[in-house]
Order: sequence, then structure tokens, then C-alpha cells
Amino acid sequence: MTDRVVIVGGGIAGVSTAAALRAGGFEGDLSLVDAGEFPYDRPPLSKAFLAGTKDLGQIALQTSDWYDDQRVRLVNRAVVTALRPSDGAVELADGRLLPADRVVLATGGGAARPPIPGAGSDRVHVLRTADDADRLRPALFPGARLLVVGAGLIGAEVAATAVRLGCEVVLVDPVATPLAAPLGPELATWLHTLHTRHRVTTAQAAVESFTDRPDGIEARFTGDATPQLFDAVVLGVGMVPRTELAEQAGLEVDRGIVVDTRQVTSNPAVLAVGDPARTRHEGTLLPRTEHWEAAQHDGARAAATVLGTPPPAPTAPWFWTDRHGHHIEGVGSMADATRTVLRGSLDDPSFAVFGLRDERVVAAASVDDPSAVRAARRMIDRRVTVDAARLADPAVNLRTLLRG
Amino acid sequence: MSDGIRVAALDDIPQGEGIAIDKAVTGTADDIALLRDTDDSVYALDDTCTHGDASLADGWVEDGYVECPLHSSKFCLKNGDVQGLPATRNACPHRVEVRDGEVYLFPGETP
Repeated sequence: MTDRVVIVGGGIAGVSTAAALRAGGFEGDLSLVDAGEFPYDRPPLSKAFLAGTKDLGQIALQTSDWYDDQRVRLVNRAVVTALRPSDGAVELADGRLLPADRVVLATGGGAARPPIPGAGSDRVHVLRTADDADRLRPALFPGARLLVVGAGLIGAEVAATAVRLGCEVVLVDPVATPLAAPLGPELATWLHTLHTRHRVTTAQAAVESFTDRPDGIEARFTGDATPQLFDAVVLGVGMVPRTELAEQAGLEVDRGIVVDTRQVTSNPAVLAVGDPARTRHEGTLLPRTEHWEAAQHDGARAAATVLGTPPPAPTAPWFWTDRHGHHIEGVGSMADATRTVLRGSLDDPSFAVFGLRDERVVAAASVDDPSAVRAARRMIDRRVTVDAARLADPAVNLRTLLRG
Repeated sequence: MSDGIRVAALDDIPQGEGIAIDKAVTGTADDIALLRDTDDSVYALDDTCTHGDASLADGWVEDGYVECPLHSSKFCLKNGDVQGLPATRNACPHRVEVRDGEVYLFPGETP
């Protein structure tokens, strides 16, 4: 019997767990511990919040009334320092103990800080929290020379936001076509060249070292790229899952907190959700997922486990990113596709790319055509077979293909 | 209680999709999305997603819900109740009637 649940971490995974517990009928005591003032949504940190067009209150994950309405005790400005599953409690930094029959770890991750010489400079930023964004924002003034390292989702979004604010942006990545794996080569190439069309200078390079100079920070690159001086640098090179609490509690950790398909860790009293959770499925450790919606689904599964109810039906993984005024979405696993089909023209967004395998859609990605991805998601989930020629024809309503 | 505004023919709204009716026509603060469900019932909600910056008329309509085209928050077609983040506020619903293949909208009236 679970009477008291403590959720450690107020990101999308933690808040979704709390919401799903109450939606599922959990009547017990429910606490959510968060380091900040209140839980906020992270995707806007590289976009509207960084640009200053939305403040922290406008990106709150829930309204302040929600916590009372849902009887979620928000333990804010607090840090959990130890899990004590055998004592039925978690311990906070100020010595308080929160009683817990079950603990849900939603600890997220920190920005990766690669060991580049000179990366400790004050001019070098990362972007993971609202505080990071607040610290970066003053550096993004018109004419500022900004180096963004890493052209994945966050790096590309920061580059797009910064160039819109008037910065001179250089975006480097060691890979020629970033995001080719999740989006497919056609769309990824289009997307990367979009930077150039919006006055972002892109280069295939990695940074060897940074050196503080009186008038900026100098970056030296691998290969034959000339060293360059910048006012600020943003490292967007991935995240490191926060697993310390799990390790201290003796839970199984393997580049992530190992969980089963119901989000339960190696200790049945402790569950883990979101970025740091790593699922073992039929004996195999899967890669961690770091996407917003996947974290929500983890929360729904964890709640079902606590409640002893059937888990929600699985659905193809989905993500979005926004840059240079375009909305991009991806669903499914492009790596599983044996061929791709383009719907629309790369010269004229909107368009979508579908990844097929054996007459079935296994993935899709779109630029300014989210309905194509919503249709694709249903095609993947329902395992419908499709006619590739009709899929490619923008005159064919995708809903008719969905009916099989 | 008015007779409503004739805003569209049912055939103007594809099944599972929506169209936006301009606020100049509806006299409301926001445009109104007319949404035709997969069972052909028609519903109306304020068009702008309560999370902001997206038109629910461009959303995916299925089985009693509309899914926002940007971040996939879902709203109940009948009462506008929000079902999933990132939106946190309900959408405002309006009463709709379909008579003889014509869609009549009653802006501001609770369905």
C-alpha cells in the first residue's frame, strides 16, 4: 500500500508524474521537491525566455492554483541530499525528513561540460536552467560575437534566437549534417543550411581550446579553421544525467538510473522517470531518451505502477524544435527506415519526410506541417500499410491513408 | 438567446479538421475554431491555444479532442478542458448547431 509519494525534481517528468497520480485516483500524500521557486517548462529557455519575450511566470509548468487543487505539496527551494528507502523517507539539505513509501526520481540532468582547456571562462555558457538563460541573455546584444558549439536541438535554437537578437553567430559542430539520424538526411541538410540563409555562419569543426583575451575569448578549432575572437560562447553538447542520489542509495546505475518497463529501479520502493532513467527491456539496456514528451510518458507509467493500474499504451517517440521561424517535428525512429519518401518540396516548406520499412511508416519528420507527423504517428502506432506514391502526393489527405 | 450566426456549411469543414471563423464575424475577443470530430459532430472553441501562438483550427481532431498543432496539448471538444501540458488553462467553448447541413455558431453561449 502506497500512502506517501515523494517526487524528487520538478521538471516535466516530475510534474507529469504528480498529475498522472492524481488523475489516476491516488488519494495519498503527495510531495514534489524542486530546487527552484516553482516548476517551469524548459523548451522556452532557448527561445522565448532567452529572447526575453516570456518571463519565468509565463513558462510555469502549472498555475499556482494547481498545486492546491491537486493536493500536491510543493517543497520548493529544496534539495534532496539522500534517499533512505529502508527508513521510508528522503532527507533534505536542511535536515528535514519527508516520509515516503515510494520515491520517484525525476532529477533530470546537467549540461555537459566537455574538458576543453579554458572552458571555465566566465564568457563560456551552458543552457539548462532559467538561471543559465538569465546569465546568457545580457551577452546577446546586437553586434555581439557569439560562438555556439554543437548544432543539435539546443545549440541550433540558441543560434536562431541570438541571430534574431542581432548577434553575429558562428555555429560549429564536428558533424557535417547534424540531426541526420533522427530527421533523415534530406530534412537535416535543409535544416542545417537554413542557418546560413539566416546569417548564421556554420562550420564543421570542434573546439580545441579557449583563451581569455582582454577584448573577448579566443577559440581555437580542430582542422585548419582560423582562431577567432568571440564575446561569448554557448556549449550545447548534450547533457549528463543526474544519478548521484541513486548511486548513493545503492541503486543500479549504468550511464543512467536503470529501470524496468514500469519505471521501477533496482529498489522496488524507488522509481525513476525522465532524462536520467534508462530502461532495461528484455535484458537489454536501451539508450536514454531526453525528449519532453517521453518524460511525460515516463511520469504516466510511473503513476500507473504506483497505482497498480495498466500502463498507458506505448506510442512512437515524438519531439519538436523551433528555429528561424520554422516549426520542425519528428516521430518514430528514422534509423529503422530502409527508404524515405518526400511529401512536398524542399524548396517550399511546408514539407514532410516519411521513413518506410516494408510498406509501413516507421518515422516521419516535418517542417511547418505538424499534421503530417500526427498522421504518421498514428500510422506507426496502428501499424497500417501505406502506398508510398500516395504518401508522397500532397493532394492526398493523409487521413484517408490512415484508414488503411 | 439569438438564432446564432450561420458561419459555414458542414461540408466546408473536413472530417477531423477545423476552420477558423474571424472575430470580426463572431464578435468575440478571439477567432473561433469550428472543429469537426471523427463522428461528424461539430464543436467550437476559442481558436488560440491557451499556451499561445497556435491556431486550434489547424489542430488534429479525433475522438472528442483537438490536439494543438504546435506542442500537442489536447482540449476536450465538448467543454474545452485541457488534457495535457504544456497548456495549463482550459479553452473557452461556444455553442454550435448544425441544421440542414449549415453550421450555426452562438458565440459566448455555453454548449
